[in-house]
Amino acid sequence: MDEENDDVTTTHAAIGVNIAPPALEVAHEDAEVTTTQTAPAAAIEVRGLTAHYGTKLAVSDVSLDAGQRSITAIIGPSGSGKSTVLRAMNRMLEVIPGARLEGSVRFHGMDVYDPSIEPAAVRRTIGMVFQQPNPFPTMSIYDNVAAPARFNGMVRGRVETDQLVERSLRLAALWGEVKDVLGKSGASLSGGQQQRLCIARALAVNPEVILMDEPCSALDPIATLQIEELARQLSKEYTIVIVTHNMQQAARVSDETIFMSMSPERGGYVVETGPTTRIFTNPSNKLTEDYITGRFG
Amino acid sequence: MSQFGSAEPTVEPGEERQSARRTFDDALTGTKDEVLRLGALVESALERAGRALTERDTDLADEVRWSDAEVNELQRTINTRITTIIATQGPVARDVRELLALYHAAVELERMGDYAVSIAKLAQQLAAEPETPLLRQIPEMERLCRSQLRSAMRALVDVSEQEAREMCMRDDELDHLYNSVYNDAVALMESAPERARQAVHMLFVAHHLERLGDRVTNIGEDVVYLVTGQIEDLNP
Repeated sequence: MDEENDDVTTTHAAIGVNIAPPALEVAHEDAEVTTTQTAPAAAIEVRGLTAHYGTKLAVSDVSLDAGQRSITAIIGPSGSGKSTVLRAMNRMLEVIPGARLEGSVRFHGMDVYDPSIEPAAVRRTIGMVFQQPNPFPTMSIYDNVAAPARFNGMVRGRVETDQLVERSLRLAALWGEVKDVLGKSGASLSGGQQQRLCIARALAVNPEVILMDEPCSALDPIATLQIEELARQLSKEYTIVIVTHNMQQAARVSDETIFMSMSPERGGYVVETGPTTRIFTNPSNKLTEDYITGRFG
Repeated sequence: MSQFGSAEPTVEPGEERQSARRTFDDALTGTKDEVLRLGALVESALERAGRALTERDTDLADEVRWSDAEVNELQRTINTRITTIIATQGPVARDVRELLALYHAAVELERMGDYAVSIAKLAQQLAAEPETPLLRQIPEMERLCRSQLRSAMRALVDVSEQEAREMCMRDDELDHLYNSVYNDAVALMESAPERARQAVHMLFVAHHLERLGDRVTNIGEDVVYLVTGQIEDLNP
C-alpha cells in the first residue's frame, strides 16, 4: 500500500496539485447499471458524465471506474459514446468545437476538470493512443519519442535523452526492431510498428494512464496481437482503458469490461460493468448478452 | 461542430442485424438435432439391451453391440461440428455455454451407449447360463433410465432448468433400486450358490444402469449451467 501511495503522490505532483490519496467511492447510484465489487482500486472514476456536441446528446449519466494497473475495455455499438467517454477522461473532449459536458472525472480522487489544473498536464499523465497511428511524419524514430519529453523539459542532454528513448522503445516492445535505424523517419515503419512508436511516445512523458481508442482497427492480425500483448505487459505498471469494436479483443485483453448502449432519449449510457471473464461467459443484463452474441449492434 | 454519431444509424436491440446470427443459429440448431438423434439411438440401444436380457435373445444383443459404431460415429461428428463452430464463430456467453453443454451431452451419451453394449454382453452371458428369474428391479431400472434419458433430452433441447432439476431428483429412485438389487443378489448367492454367476451378472447389469443414470444427471447439470452460468452438483 505504501508503494502505491507513493506513486499516487508523484503523479499528482506531475499535474501540479497536491492531494491526499483517494477515498474510493463505494458504488454507482444508477440502479440500472449492473456492477460487481471485485474490480481493482480505481485510478479514474467517472461520475454522472453527460456530454453534448452542440444540441446533440452524446452520452448521459455515465458512471464507471478504470481500475489501477489493469485493462478496462469499453465496448458497445457505434454511437454509444465509447470514444466520448474516453476523451472526457483526459480532457480531449473539450478541444472539439461545440462539445460540453457535465459530471465529474476524478483521477485518484482529484477532479481533472478543476480550474486550477492545466489540460496539458492531464493529457501528459493520462496519455492517449489513437485509431490511426500518427507518428510525426517529418521526424525520425528517435525524435518521435524524444520530442514530447524534450518539449516538456523532462530530459536534458544527449545521454539522458538516449536513455529515455531506449527505455520507452523497450517498454513499447519496439527497440529490437528499430535500434539500428533510429534516424529513419517514423513514417517508414509498418502500421503495427508505427502504433507501437506512438505508444512509446506516450510512455516517454511518464504517464500513469494510457487511453487507447480503437488502437488496432487499422492493423493486421499479427500486429493486433502484438499490441494486445504489449497492453497486457504495460498493464503491470500502467492503467489502460481501451475502446474497441472488436469484442474478442476486449475478451482477450481486458480485466474489466464496460458495455455501453444508446437510445434516442438517453444517447450513450452504461448498461453493465464487470470482470471480463463474467461479462463474456455469463453477463447479467440481457442487452449485454444480445450485443456480445451478435443479436444486435 | 463535431457530428459525432450522426452518420451512424441508431440500432435498437433486437430490431436489426438478425441476419448476422443466421449462420450461427443454423449451426446450433443442426447440432441440437444431431444430439437429439444421438439420444434416440442410445435410448433404442438401451431398450433393446433390456429386451435381450428379459427375452434371452442373443441375436438382439448382438444387434445392440453392432449398432454402437453408429453411436460412436455420431458423437465424433457432433464434437467435430461443435469444435468447428467454436473456432469459426467465436461464440460467447450463453452461446458458448450451450455449445459446451451439447458437447458434453454427446460425450455422456456415447458412454451411455457403451453401458447398453455392456448390458447386451451380460444378456448373452446370462442366456448361456441355466435360466434364472431376472431380479424384478432390473426391468424397472431399465425403464426408469430410459425415462430419465428422455427427460434430459427434453430439458436440453427446451433449455428447461426445471425439467433438468426434477429429472436429477428422480435419480435417487435408481440408486434405491440398485441397492435393492445388490441385497437380492447377495441373498441369491447365499441361498443358491450354484446361481452365483447369474447373480453376479445381474448385479453388473444393475451397476451399469445405475452409472448410466448418473451420466443422465450430468446432462441435467449441463442444462442448469447453460441457463444460470453456475456449476451445481445435482447428484451429490
